[in-house]
Amino acid sequence: MAPKITFDNVTKRYGDLTVLDGLNLEIEEGEVVSIIGPSGSGKTTVLRVLMTLEGIQEGVISLDGEPFTHVRKGDGFVPAKPAHIRKLRTKIGMVFQSFNLFPHMTTLQNCIEAPVQSLGLRKDEAVERARELLGMVGMAEKEDHYPSQLSGGQQQRVAIARALAMRPEILLFDEPTSALDPEMVGEVLSVIRTLAAEHSYTMLLVTHQMGFAREVSDRILFFESGKFVEQGHPDTFFSNPQHSRTKEFLAKVLEAN
Amino acid sequence: MSASVARIAIVSALLAFVAGMVFATFSELRVFLPALLNGAVVTLQVSALSIVVFIVASVLAGIGRTSGFWPLRWLCAIYVEIFRGTSLLVQLFWLFFVLPEFGIVLSPLFAGILAIGLNYGAYGAEIVRGALGSVPKGQIEAGVALNIPKGKRMVRIILPQAVLLMLPGMGNQTIELIKSTALVSAVTLVDITYASVLQNNIHYRTIEIFSITMLLYYILSQLVRFGVAALEAKASRFRALEF
Amino acid sequence: MEWDWEFTWNRVLPAMLEALPVTIQATVFSFVLAVVVGLPLMLLRKSSIRLVSVVVGEFIEFVRGTPLLVQIFFLFFVLPEFGITLPPLLTGILAIGLYNAALCSEVFRAGFDAVPKGQWEAATALNLSPRRTLTAIIIPQSLPPIVPALGNYLIVIFKETPLLSFVAVAEIMHVAKGIGVETYRFTEAITIAGILFLILSLIAAALVGIVERYVIRKVYH
Repeated sequence: MAPKITFDNVTKRYGDLTVLDGLNLEIEEGEVVSIIGPSGSGKTTVLRVLMTLEGIQEGVISLDGEPFTHVRKGDGFVPAKPAHIRKLRTKIGMVFQSFNLFPHMTTLQNCIEAPVQSLGLRKDEAVERARELLGMVGMAEKEDHYPSQLSGGQQQRVAIARALAMRPEILLFDEPTSALDPEMVGEVLSVIRTLAAEHSYTMLLVTHQMGFAREVSDRILFFESGKFVEQGHPDTFFSNPQHSRTKEFLAKVLEAN
Repeated sequence: MSASVARIAIVSALLAFVAGMVFATFSELRVFLPALLNGAVVTLQVSALSIVVFIVASVLAGIGRTSGFWPLRWLCAIYVEIFRGTSLLVQLFWLFFVLPEFGIVLSPLFAGILAIGLNYGAYGAEIVRGALGSVPKGQIEAGVALNIPKGKRMVRIILPQAVLLMLPGMGNQTIELIKSTALVSAVTLVDITYASVLQNNIHYRTIEIFSITMLLYYILSQLVRFGVAALEAKASRFRALEF
Repeated sequence: MEWDWEFTWNRVLPAMLEALPVTIQATVFSFVLAVVVGLPLMLLRKSSIRLVSVVVGEFIEFVRGTPLLVQIFFLFFVLPEFGITLPPLLTGILAIGLYNAALCSEVFRAGFDAVPKGQWEAATALNLSPRRTLTAIIIPQSLPPIVPALGNYLIVIFKETPLLSFVAVAEIMHVAKGIGVETYRFTEAITIAGILFLILSLIAAALVGIVERYVIRKVYH
């Protein structure tokens, strides 16, 4: 069976700066993968190009074996039209570092907006689904609150429910706890932990929370200078890193803790 | 510079093309164009003189608004409120039609530049005031610490730094001012606008006449825009680093 | 020169009050036109079709760079050449409205650009269509911060209405000047006109303030 997500020689540049350098990646269905690495290395860009928030200069990203960012033409590929991307993009959901909830809508409205508008759900169906998800993340009583009335941790949990409401197959988490005060990190990680353990989502996490990454992931990827320098199973990755750069990075991280 | 020139060139070409295509009357331009250009001279005169009044009023009232001497502060505030709260045309008519009834007769030109200059001076005063307030407080403190007298502090330290901050706002007001000179046609000054209406009544080449009229003002406003940008570039020379 | 109170009460004030509705009509309808046309104008300027955005952009620049009075004359004299004869007041409203639409489009643009990029990204992540993103997410967030600036245009437009006297619309300024020309007494008429403008400006400013506070309360909970 084709991998859920495939990066085929993906390159992304900002002017002269190469952020993704001929990246190759295969992620199987149901895998939970954490991407770690130095700040500003571009790990977030991996998620952003997958979510089509940014374009790529070279290479192809595929979902379930089918080209996503491009379409086949003859022997090669051409950039896909927006309609094609929109059709497949519904498989992917994303949770942002700065939550990005819609401030002019209530919690409930935030969660039903896309299912109604994009999936074509009836409003009552969407509300039912939203309530179920809000209950799952522990935000059921706040459904009529506005984002400005919620704490950071609460907002992020709502953001997770909002993403789940689209019933994605793939979930992307871009440093979901980096913008939170320490005491709220736990409640968000708890939700993500549940998602990883009890559901079959394919999950890609960019995070600085090493302990958490070790706990929930099936695989760890170390990203630096545009490439995946090393990858491995959590058990062996942290205890026995192979590459010198990985060792350096982990040493610095442990020092900070 | 090239952007403004390109703009003017393209717009002129387009208008000329359209007018020419529709009316095939290029040769007729000679009939009314001189009158419009004469009007342009008047417009420039009025603009230039009004701008002088505008700048003086803006700076004086802007500084006056921040004065410690409360009668002065009050006076400037009243000036700003009255001239911003009433229409330019009202002010113009007041100076030209009402003052004579008190024995003060102003020529159309004088009434015009006074009205326009004072009207925009009121808006300019607020811009100047805002710019003065935006100069970092540390500058004033340094001036005090160096024992520089208040007047000199204002003129030699704060004002020069405020100039860069007020350029965009004052530049915009200048463009508005130039456009507003069209109103002096109400007090018999034959500027571009007056000339265009006159010419239209005589020749009825309506679209060409008014298109060219608008084009002339447009050229003026683009020139001012370019001038202000050049001034901004020059004034920010010393601002290599922003903290 | 002595102020003639009787003249003021019996001749000037009644005439001013008769002209008042015209001024108010001109102001309100022009303002509505400016706001209603300004938003689509801004959206067109942001169009991804290069031709559209450039043409609209240059049109806006041109309208902003030429005097309103000339534009009023332009419409007043040129429209009939195309067989469209409108009453002067309507022509005036059209001119003032469209001129300020070009100005207001800049205000709408500022509000639009101020919406955080993250909102666009969330909409993309949720696979919302571009149209839905604009109408439900971006534009609603762009409006509340710009209400004060838009409201300001109400006052600006109000002070532009005297320009309509150039095309013989019976608004306050025109009537005031008319009285002066007829009776050779300008002082009372023009001074009262001035005071009237001042008072109405203040009222308009207060109204705008009320709308501002209402919007802030409603949107920022």
